[in-house]
Amino acid sequence: MQTNNGGNKRRQPPIAPNPSKRFQPQHHEDESPALEEDEMMDEDVFLEETLIEDEEILRNEQASLALSSRLSKWKRPPLSPSSLSLSQNIIFQQLEIDYVIGDSHQELLPNSSGPAAILRIFGVTKEGHSVCCHVHGFEPYFYISCPPGMGPDDISRFHQTLEGKMREANRNSRAPKFVVRIQMMQKRSIMHYQKQKSQPFLKIVVALPTMVASCRGILERGIQIDGLGCKSFITYESNVLFALRFMIDCNIVGGNWIEVPVGKYKKTAKTISYSQLEFDCLYSELISHPPEGEFSKMAPFRILSFDIECAGRKGLFPEPSHDPVIQVANLVTLQGEDRPFVRNVMTLKSCAPIVGVDVMSFDTEREVLLAWRDFIREVDPDVIIGYNICKFDLPYLIERAETLKIAEFPILGRIKNSRARVKDTTFSSRQYGVRESKDVMIEGRVQFDLLQAMQRDYKLSSYSLNSVSAHFLGEQKEDVHHSIISDLQNGNSETRRRLAVYCLKDAYLPQRLLDKLMFIYNYVEMARVTGVPVSFLLSRGQSIKVLSQLLRKSKQKNLVIPNVKGQGSSQETYEGATVLEARAGFYEKPIATLDFASLYPSIMMAYNLCYCTLVTPEDIRKLNLPPECVTKTPSGDTFVKPSLQKGILPEILEELLAARKRAKADLKEAKDPFVKAVLDGRQLALKISANSVYGFTGATVAQLPCLEISSSVTSFGRQMIEHTKKLVIYGDTDSVMVQFGVPTIEAAMSLGKEAAEYISSTFTKPIKLEFEKIYYPYLLISKKRYAGLLWTNPEKFDKMDTKGIETVRRDNCLLVKNLVTECLHKILIDRDIPGAVQYVKNTISDLLMNRMDLSLLVITKGLTKTGDDYAVKAAHVELAERMRKRDAATAPNVGDRVPYVIIKAAKGAKAYEKSEDPIYVLENNIPIDPQYYLENQISKPLLRIFEPILKNASKELLHGSHTRAVSISTPSNSGIMKFAKKQLTCIGCKALLSNADQTLCSHCKGREAELYCKTVANVSDLEMVFGRLWTQCQECQGSLHQDVLCTSRDCPIFYRRKKAQKDMAEAKLQLDRWKF
Amino acid sequence: MEVEGEEKRLHRKQSLYQSLVRFAFFTFSASHFGNFSNMCVWVVGEILICDCFSISLLWVWFFFSLKDEKFQILQTEKYRGQQYSQIYFARLHHMRNLIYTLVPNWKPNLPVTTVLGLEAGKECIVVGTLYKHMKLKPSILDEYSKERSAVPLAKPHNFMHPDDYLVLEDESGRVKLANGILAPSVFVTGLVVALHGKETSDGDFFVQDILEAGLAPQKPLPLGSDEDKYVVFVSGLSVGSSESNPLQIQLLVDHMTGHLGDAKEQNIASQIVRVVIVGNSVNVPVRLLTGQNLASKDQSKLFEPFKELDIFLTQLAAALPVDIMPGSDDPANYSLPQQPLHRCLFPGASAYNTFVSCTNPHSFELDTVRFLGTSGQNIDDLDKYSDAKNKLDFLERTLHWRHLAPTAPNTLGCYPFIDKDPFLIESCPHVYFIGNQSKYETRLLQGSEGQKVRLICVPRFCETGVAVVVNMRNLESHTLSFSTCFDL
Repeated sequence: MQTNNGGNKRRQPPIAPNPSKRFQPQHHEDESPALEEDEMMDEDVFLEETLIEDEEILRNEQASLALSSRLSKWKRPPLSPSSLSLSQNIIFQQLEIDYVIGDSHQELLPNSSGPAAILRIFGVTKEGHSVCCHVHGFEPYFYISCPPGMGPDDISRFHQTLEGKMREANRNSRAPKFVVRIQMMQKRSIMHYQKQKSQPFLKIVVALPTMVASCRGILERGIQIDGLGCKSFITYESNVLFALRFMIDCNIVGGNWIEVPVGKYKKTAKTISYSQLEFDCLYSELISHPPEGEFSKMAPFRILSFDIECAGRKGLFPEPSHDPVIQVANLVTLQGEDRPFVRNVMTLKSCAPIVGVDVMSFDTEREVLLAWRDFIREVDPDVIIGYNICKFDLPYLIERAETLKIAEFPILGRIKNSRARVKDTTFSSRQYGVRESKDVMIEGRVQFDLLQAMQRDYKLSSYSLNSVSAHFLGEQKEDVHHSIISDLQNGNSETRRRLAVYCLKDAYLPQRLLDKLMFIYNYVEMARVTGVPVSFLLSRGQSIKVLSQLLRKSKQKNLVIPNVKGQGSSQETYEGATVLEARAGFYEKPIATLDFASLYPSIMMAYNLCYCTLVTPEDIRKLNLPPECVTKTPSGDTFVKPSLQKGILPEILEELLAARKRAKADLKEAKDPFVKAVLDGRQLALKISANSVYGFTGATVAQLPCLEISSSVTSFGRQMIEHTKKLVIYGDTDSVMVQFGVPTIEAAMSLGKEAAEYISSTFTKPIKLEFEKIYYPYLLISKKRYAGLLWTNPEKFDKMDTKGIETVRRDNCLLVKNLVTECLHKILIDRDIPGAVQYVKNTISDLLMNRMDLSLLVITKGLTKTGDDYAVKAAHVELAERMRKRDAATAPNVGDRVPYVIIKAAKGAKAYEKSEDPIYVLENNIPIDPQYYLENQISKPLLRIFEPILKNASKELLHGSHTRAVSISTPSNSGIMKFAKKQLTCIGCKALLSNADQTLCSHCKGREAELYCKTVANVSDLEMVFGRLWTQCQECQGSLHQDVLCTSRDCPIFYRRKKAQKDMAEAKLQLDRWKF
Repeated sequence: MEVEGEEKRLHRKQSLYQSLVRFAFFTFSASHFGNFSNMCVWVVGEILICDCFSISLLWVWFFFSLKDEKFQILQTEKYRGQQYSQIYFARLHHMRNLIYTLVPNWKPNLPVTTVLGLEAGKECIVVGTLYKHMKLKPSILDEYSKERSAVPLAKPHNFMHPDDYLVLEDESGRVKLANGILAPSVFVTGLVVALHGKETSDGDFFVQDILEAGLAPQKPLPLGSDEDKYVVFVSGLSVGSSESNPLQIQLLVDHMTGHLGDAKEQNIASQIVRVVIVGNSVNVPVRLLTGQNLASKDQSKLFEPFKELDIFLTQLAAALPVDIMPGSDDPANYSLPQQPLHRCLFPGASAYNTFVSCTNPHSFELDTVRFLGTSGQNIDDLDKYSDAKNKLDFLERTLHWRHLAPTAPNTLGCYPFIDKDPFLIESCPHVYFIGNQSKYETRLLQGSEGQKVRLICVPRFCETGVAVVVNMRNLESHTLSFSTCFDL
């Protein structure tokens, strides 16, 4: 650890072979690998080694002079004279805060010298000027509790000892001083209820942020103090990221407006950034505006949405070491506007022009990459968005530039000569699971990867850009298979234009998703509510947000938060929420649902549960608290009542919920759509934050776990659900379902409201049971599985609500989803159980009779590793392997989703051998295995629904007479068929025809007209489908005069389209036989 | 000249009829006059033997030539994976060449460019295919992928929406058309036009003027003929449907074959040179065609309407030439051009060479009078995706656009032709008829170059009992109305 933090000033060769190694975050050494939330990661420190020589830059800048004139029209608006002359206050919205190590500013801080941390705030003024503010004078610090009996003299001795230890630990550091000063302060630990108001603490101020961890290590391991012996300390607030520390101490919240008064800032002597306004100031001079009124608005940030295309080799996923970047499409939009003001595409080799788009073609890849860099510099985007840019596009560009030895490429940030670097990170959290990702540092620009946001905020069956845009924007995206991309690139300027249009569309979709889902508003509001920088919201888990609020609140209350991480508490668990036993059945009377409004936050508020109100078992005896002043929770822990000590967490929650109420009230009043968007984002952020406080206390390896609090919360929750149990048919975490036995919805509603009020009155405030909705009818299958029609007003039901039923599961085929949805629809809305049964029977019959549309049977799984890495053989992996043998170019690669169907195979074949590519199946008439679909796909979900309704459901549905007729198609490619001789058969009875000119055998001659009608009706149906499918694809691709190229297997009509083409060709042949 | 005669005793279903009329007639018809492949000269003579034993012999001469070959899908034309881009390309290519010849007379001083060559603020002319973006247009994706909503989707008769906008496209790209003089409600996808305008700063194209191809050139009508020759159009017989009335159809047949009315009316009937049945002649019970083999009971049920129709057709064909076109409800293929109804469906009528089963659209020439028409799908589709005061306006528009069915293939089913667009109107017809409309409407359209076109909406016979008669001499039209209201 020591070696990592010491030598900040070493010169490095221009290209650091693997910069990430040197920047291993500090905690990796002492933390277990099984971290649940990775919050300790310290910011990257921007060092000179990432800077490159000035001469190199100059050389290249001359070369790109011609291009720059083209790019310059997209520059930011010029500065006004008053801001040029520094004669006005600078007000800007900050988006990104980081820090560097540099020499302390001589003018602003005449008394200090040597390296110091300089904070940089990047932001935008309301005129759209970019700002880089260097903040000086803020020092890193943390606390330890002062050992009893330590006086001022002891402190200076202690200072010297610590300084010595630090010097020992950081031998190769040039820093003149490590521990700047140690002050005694009166503070109190947040943990446990204490009678005395404060205790002496030592505030240890160190020279550089990286030294905090090193110093903490020394103190935690123990240090020899004269007169006191060897002592180890618990440190307080030693794990707070430096930038966050600064924000907390200066009352800055993520994305708020900052004002620097005139005269308090100095123009930077030697500018190091590309920002229009760059200045130095002292941290104490900053004015942070709370996000209210005028300051709740958003500055006109520039949002860049981009997408790259690479020419992959056949059968392989593009790799930066081999495959060139051939196109980069860019769109730049000003925040708040609905159309991009820059649309361009940079292509390798010529490209025919595109309407409304600036096409820039280059002969070498080097020029493409450098043009993109120059473009970034000119346009100066504040936010960079895209789909999967963090894991793919950005690292690819940077690694590709490394391969091509373009050292000057990765200067993408706002800092001159500073390279963007890629490092691998893993992000893991209980909520989101483990994600491997790459972190690209681009100083001063916020990266917002829509894929990450989608994965965080929405549960979807697939996260491909295609299905996400189909889901949210309601349109299918054209998908060009990567094996075609190389062909298009190697064609002419027209085919490259085709590719460019596709690339542009991919760049535009993230922007549209961003607008549609109001991510900017929601995330900025979340940053403002929780006080963390916007970039934290995507790259870190939930707990940093709670920690930030906790720290802010503690600071007001003069409390300090201990660093109690890694106490081995990860083994402990506590009892979770209660779920009452479900009385399964089909309820045809209205069921009222009563909900605890924000149950867990309410419990915490009602019983004053907090770190600082918890009484330790020893203290219970020692302090002798009167019983009326304490609450004993059902889990056996004791907390004091607010009369003695008001908890911090309840206070945070109260503020959050009050703020949410306010935001909701304002939202009702608001007229302006932008204000509405901000307010809605805010109330959502507040709700999420309130709910995550409970989780924070229970996350056993997070910052400050306190199982006493979390287990008390759930125990209260359980108690409350139990309390309401008598009437209840089912109760979940925070809601109960009650059958009042009344036949009408109105009656159930009024009873529900009455009951909710009555029960609420028996609880401690603010716990409140609210009447929420009626389910009528209601199909309760088991715990966490139900379906019902939801009513909130007696006139009309709102929707069909389902939970835990196979309507959305991703690894089922579409047939299951359709079948289940249709059945529920028939049962619940049409109230037609026989109809539902008949529908199931018809579907099963269709399946067995081979009349099922293939796309309904396609199962899709993601290929995450190659075949060898899977321990158990899986169907989709085996298929990918087989497809590679057939044609490596179109076979799926790692990362692709593999669609397959289960085909009939030899008896005893393993399930994984029976998978086949749907296209291959279509082309070769391979029979599918209906039995597999019947048994493994549809039987379970169906029985689940029908068992509460029907007696003998399994017998009735799965083994009735409708399962007797079976039809299987003959494969056209099987071995035996190669020896078969083709002969025409009679269209009517399939009898062999001796004379090839005939259509019908002599027996069927009389039925000529009937058989003709049949053939022609078939043709007519197919023609209709064919026409509609193919014109739909033309519509999606947005062009009538070009062939459809799309191979999006996520598209619901992809297989149908293919099948229609094939069926049509066959049907036409059949029909032509009649024209003898 | 080969003369064949035939006597036929007809069975009447209605007892009223049987007591009235009982006669036989001869038809002399001569065919294969000369060796013209597609052109024949018909000499129709009718000897009517009536109750009074008076015999009248009438001779009507005319030339007939079928112009359907471009609507035929040959056996060599197969579905080989071709897409619809080719038909659009062929259409654009043909129409653009044509429009380019018109542009110098329209706006001689403006530069002509492609969509790609547009420059912001510079006035120019662009020729391209229109595409109408429609919010309400039903999409097969929705039917397939959207979760079933509790509220059933309303099926509007017309899919127009105020937010619809037009896009102009050529091979080089597309550009959105900003509000100019172009009303999206009038135009449809698939149309090729020339636009005069300029690109705005937003990248849209601001339209100042529009040029359609206009009426195609027309062969002059034969002059000075004072002989009345009539062509009868009837559509929507829907034999077998609940609305169809066999008596009404029989009245029509008898009228046309000259078995009704007095000598004057018979005289007019004798001047009918051709009957065109414009689609939807039978109503097949669709539910029977499930792909399963039919029980013998159902077979007869299915075939009953065909038998009935065949009887009518046989009577007609015995007396005068009959063209039968397929329609949307007939047992024919769905997409345009619909191929002729198979002869096996009409064992009786197909024995006559006066019986012609033809394509839809259908085009023919009688004595240099050019006829063109469809069974109505093209106009019905325009009615769904655009707006007009009456159906005749749609007819007029398609002639001005020089395209029978611009919405094919976009919303109207169509065979994916590779190198041609059969729906282009290369020469202007004299009679343009559309079948299966709700009411009879007609208008004489006068073109700027002296073209004269009789536009006719042929009403559904089963609903209205109306057939339309056009006089080839002066292009005048009138209706034949049959009513069968009895108060017995």
